[in-house]
Amino acid sequence: MTWTDEELVTRAVAGDQDSFNQLIIRWERPIYALAYRVIGRDEDARDVAQEAFMRAFRALPGFKGQAKFSSWLYRITLNLCRDWIRRQKRTPVVSAPEGLDIIEMAAEQGPVESIEELVARKQLSATVAEAMQHLPEEQRTAIILKEYHGLTFQEIADLQQCPLSTVKTRLYQGLSVLRRQLQAQGITGSGASEKAS
Amino acid sequence: MSETAFCDDKSQLIDYLYGGLETTARRRFEEHLRRCTACASDVRELSAVRTELATWQAPDVNLAVAVDVAAALPYAQPSTLAVFQPSQSSGAPALQPSSPPDLQASSPPALQSSRPSLPVWAQFAAAVLVGAIGLSIANIQVRYGADGLTVTTGWMQPAAPSAPAAVVAAPVGAGTATASTAADTAADWQPALSALEASLRSEIQAARNDVTTPVNAPAASTRSASGVSAANVTDLIAASEKRQRQELALRLAQFGRDLEVQRRSDLVRINQGFGQFEGRAGAEIARQRQMLDYIMRVSAQPPPQ
Repeated sequence: MTWTDEELVTRAVAGDQDSFNQLIIRWERPIYALAYRVIGRDEDARDVAQEAFMRAFRALPGFKGQAKFSSWLYRITLNLCRDWIRRQKRTPVVSAPEGLDIIEMAAEQGPVESIEELVARKQLSATVAEAMQHLPEEQRTAIILKEYHGLTFQEIADLQQCPLSTVKTRLYQGLSVLRRQLQAQGITGSGASEKAS
Repeated sequence: MSETAFCDDKSQLIDYLYGGLETTARRRFEEHLRRCTACASDVRELSAVRTELATWQAPDVNLAVAVDVAAALPYAQPSTLAVFQPSQSSGAPALQPSSPPDLQASSPPALQSSRPSLPVWAQFAAAVLVGAIGLSIANIQVRYGADGLTVTTGWMQPAAPSAPAAVVAAPVGAGTATASTAADTAADWQPALSALEASLRSEIQAARNDVTTPVNAPAASTRSASGVSAANVTDLIAASEKRQRQELALRLAQFGRDLEVQRRSDLVRINQGFGQFEGRAGAEIARQRQMLDYIMRVSAQPPPQ
């Protein structure tokens, strides 16, 4: 039987450790991915994700179900990411682009993907990550929540504690800055646009 | 909405981009896109950016960390652990407005490597079990004889007593019930113990007399004592040495054969390893050559204008 998040929370608060394990298993990847994309460092993102689960676990008895558990967990994670960025006192930087090792890349190579395509894909991913890290934090977070986590505008507005219109403005501005940066890198442009459309 | 209003209101464009417009609003916006090249270009290019964003994948994660629930959670039952395990699922469910508690002031959690602990009662039971098994393995025996109480361990059997019926042996590993039974019947042992004591004293006295006999006694007395002649002993020793030599020769031959078999199998394995290495190196060189060709082709192309 598949329990909902809220049912698992109730059982966990009642002392069922397996229920919280289920929540961890269910949300481990999205939470880590959110932290990784916001702060841009693998190891620190792992720490943030673990800390987010710990804090959620400790505060579970105070969770009254006024919001969805996932929303609550996202908020905790974003708060921790914000703290991390504040502590760094600088723009977060993505780890050195991985995947330019030809041997390693050849091992990852798909059956129908040539080595040239693999190199291009890796370079594109690294460039996108780099461009994302140059965005202001609010725009970057809004894009991450929308593009990679599928949140609604209203959910993003709640998490960012701003009006709905501000979320859309942040998305538009963020995507526009990304467009300019990627065009400057020769990655996307009219040709790419046509291909995409 | 006027054409200019569509151009100025970027939220309409974002809604359209993410499929958030209702049917009527979407048709109106698409009509506007047919007339406004600027907005149409915006939509095309931002769509392309979204496509590029999809290439950025987060690495796989495995947060294999155990959280000491007893230390971290006031409400959790003691001696229990929640283990962070890798997950195969990645969902992005819809969320509702939230107002989570202020968690920033919390103290750092207690993270541990994943090693679950047992409840105290289980640890105690395990300790008792291990102790009992250890005592059984050690084969501890308690003997009460003429020289008093003797405790022996291990599987080495002592010399057989001359009066086995008088010896009391109580393995500790058999449990406390045996010990209590032995204590209850201690009164019945007194005559047997007295007999045992007398027997042991006479044996010890006989042994002392044997020890006082000179080692280099005449051959006749030795022969008379053991009933084995010196010639027979010499023959026995010679036969034993012969057997030992034959056994040693056999073992040496066997060792030589084993060594040769091992050497041949090692040679075969080394040859196979070399073959695989050559194959991999060849494939690697081919791959690098392909990569270099690609780089040369790309660098030979004129830069985009």
